[in-house]
Amino acid sequence: MILLQSHSRFLLQTLLNRLQNLEKGIELDHHWVEFDDVRYHVQVSTKNPHVLLLSVSLPPPSSETIFVNGLPFGAIDAIKAAYGATVQIKDPPRDGFNLTLKINLSKLPANQDQRQSFLVKIASVREVVLGAPLRVILKHLASRTVAPDIDPLVALVHRPRESFFLVPKADKVTVVYPMRFNDSIDTVLATSFLQEFVEARRTAGLHNTPPCSWSLTPPQELKEVSADALLANAGFVTFVIFPRHVEGPKLDRTVWNLSTFHAYVSYHVKCSEGFMHTRMRRRVESLIQALDRARPDLEKKTAMNRSFKRLGLKKESRNSSFS
Amino acid sequence: MDPAASRPAVVIDNGSGYTKMGFAGNVEPCFIVPTVVALNESFLNQSRTSSKANWIAQHNAGVMADLDFFIGDEALAKSRSSSTYSLSYPIQHGQVENWDSMERFWQQCIFNYLRCDPEDHYFLLTESPLTAPESREYTGEIMFETFNVPGLYIAVNSVLALAAGYTTSKCEMTGVVVDVGDGATHVVPVADGYVIGSSIKSVPIAGKDVTLFVQQLMRERGENIPPEDSFEVARKVKEMYCYTCSDIVKEFNKHDKEPSKYIRQWRGIKPKTGAPYSCDIGYERFLGPEVFFNPEIYSSDFSTPLPVVIDKCIQSAPIDTRRALYKNIVLSGGSTMFKDFHRRLQRDLKKIVDARVHASDARLNGEIKSQPVEVNVVSHSVQRFAVWFGGSVLASTPEFFAACHTKAEYEEYGASICRTNPVFKGMY
Repeated sequence: MILLQSHSRFLLQTLLNRLQNLEKGIELDHHWVEFDDVRYHVQVSTKNPHVLLLSVSLPPPSSETIFVNGLPFGAIDAIKAAYGATVQIKDPPRDGFNLTLKINLSKLPANQDQRQSFLVKIASVREVVLGAPLRVILKHLASRTVAPDIDPLVALVHRPRESFFLVPKADKVTVVYPMRFNDSIDTVLATSFLQEFVEARRTAGLHNTPPCSWSLTPPQELKEVSADALLANAGFVTFVIFPRHVEGPKLDRTVWNLSTFHAYVSYHVKCSEGFMHTRMRRRVESLIQALDRARPDLEKKTAMNRSFKRLGLKKESRNSSFS
Repeated sequence: MDPAASRPAVVIDNGSGYTKMGFAGNVEPCFIVPTVVALNESFLNQSRTSSKANWIAQHNAGVMADLDFFIGDEALAKSRSSSTYSLSYPIQHGQVENWDSMERFWQQCIFNYLRCDPEDHYFLLTESPLTAPESREYTGEIMFETFNVPGLYIAVNSVLALAAGYTTSKCEMTGVVVDVGDGATHVVPVADGYVIGSSIKSVPIAGKDVTLFVQQLMRERGENIPPEDSFEVARKVKEMYCYTCSDIVKEFNKHDKEPSKYIRQWRGIKPKTGAPYSCDIGYERFLGPEVFFNPEIYSSDFSTPLPVVIDKCIQSAPIDTRRALYKNIVLSGGSTMFKDFHRRLQRDLKKIVDARVHASDARLNGEIKSQPVEVNVVSHSVQRFAVWFGGSVLASTPEFFAACHTKAEYEEYGASICRTNPVFKGMY
């Protein structure tokens, strides 16, 4: 797995399971947490087995980001556009969550393929809700306009109390990520990972990808942002997104990849640590082998000596008898 | 307060057969997947001198060698469909054998299945009571160094199985855990949450042996099963049709009298040709689980029935715990799921205990009447993932977070702190 998938594997599995056993009416009450502190809760009661309640809580926004009624702007429209009439938004949401969706399982599309893609869409609710503002901006980019009444610098939440920044223009959108890591080793690995990442962009075959750069100091675009939001121990990554990156079906993927860039880097940092451990383990094993080989094997030698000596003795005795 | 303590802990129970993983506070694990890793070793084994060429080859193939692996059902499917992947089972007989695969397995569990950030959650892992302390250190090293978990607790799986029966009214932490997994069978006495290490008994027969025995029976009868599929078919037969009988002879008679009622059909498709086939499932339905009660039908090396092993185990435990141990015999593990397994176990064990009580009564000529010994084999609905469920219950108590070894402690004292884990108050 190189990229993180946009749908929650467990949510999809739960939905599919539910549909198969729709008539049994088993109670369901499950909660779980995903990366970046997105929490989910699903509930089905025995009384009403066709209605599934899905609650999502989003990471708490930092001071730069604005949430409207606990949701990023454009989220409600995005949900309505993505799911249509099958899904209702419950108001107010469940305690401690930002959003509760009421999904009517008996109203799903009858066609197998459509149903499957609809379920995957529900399972990627996180992309729909958290990526909503990003999607609005990128949609305008695809038509080469700037969304009306939008700030020249937009901050979007992607981790608890952390934001990334967008500078929307008519022909390009600049995306800047302040990268923060808790662990000192992670910071070092992430820094070199990002430098390699920028370097890899220059190899042949990657001409069409968004240009990206990395710097330790905040780039020009962020000079109006408060210093607090700019404390980043692993530098700043900047992508420039052009209209060709958000054409048609590419839009969904771009939105997902941009909104989970930090999780992507953090996943790969962990993977590289794992890979290094594998290498270290192999090294230790080979060193131990070398040590084992170097150990003088006393027992074997004496045995050999003895047999050699015995042979000699026999010879000697034979010699002596001859003489 | 540590923000990670406000999120549910991640509970992963790695068994030799299946891994159960999920979040604490739920009644079911999120995923139950086979503990297997499919590795693509075609890139990994190349020599280091050609690393540049290797990198280009990888780039052209569109893979990254260290990330090109799958776990669980995906791994099994991959190895079936293409020959570039080789399967590796990191846990054998309840012990981690291959740490490289194990680390990869955990990596996928966390990032691909649970999709959580390991820095955000406390972790509860399980190990068998016979695990060497070094292996616990290794686990701690991987968890703290690779995944940066904020806190880790490595629990003994039999204690967790006892905790699965934990309710608010009754919290019995004394009992014998009969843990029959896929790769190992242990009988573990626990007193007040502490394992009585000297009395642990192991049986070299486990779920996998039942599968092998079923496979052997079907092969000997000449059932029409493609050889490459026969192990998988035997496993499915075991999981779906096997049951425990009370008496083999009677059961044979029943089968012979009414074959239509007892013999089942298995239908499958040959993987190579795609032709459908079908075969009968007969005596193996009850003979499979019988290997626990009459091991001599399967192996000539080991012939002590499971009830006798349990009895020996309790007899070797401290005398003041024995009655409590007989009273609470808890089953855990997938291979105790056979229908009526607990009834058979209870009946056989009761027979042994009663015989001993009678013998002592006869010896004393009825001068002192001993109190009858209560034998009770407990089975519950979550037996298949009882260990996971126990972990989920314990990890949702507030004491859990205090009992964990934290990252700060690990950095201060090193991996040796993972050798022991305190028994904490939520346990009893």
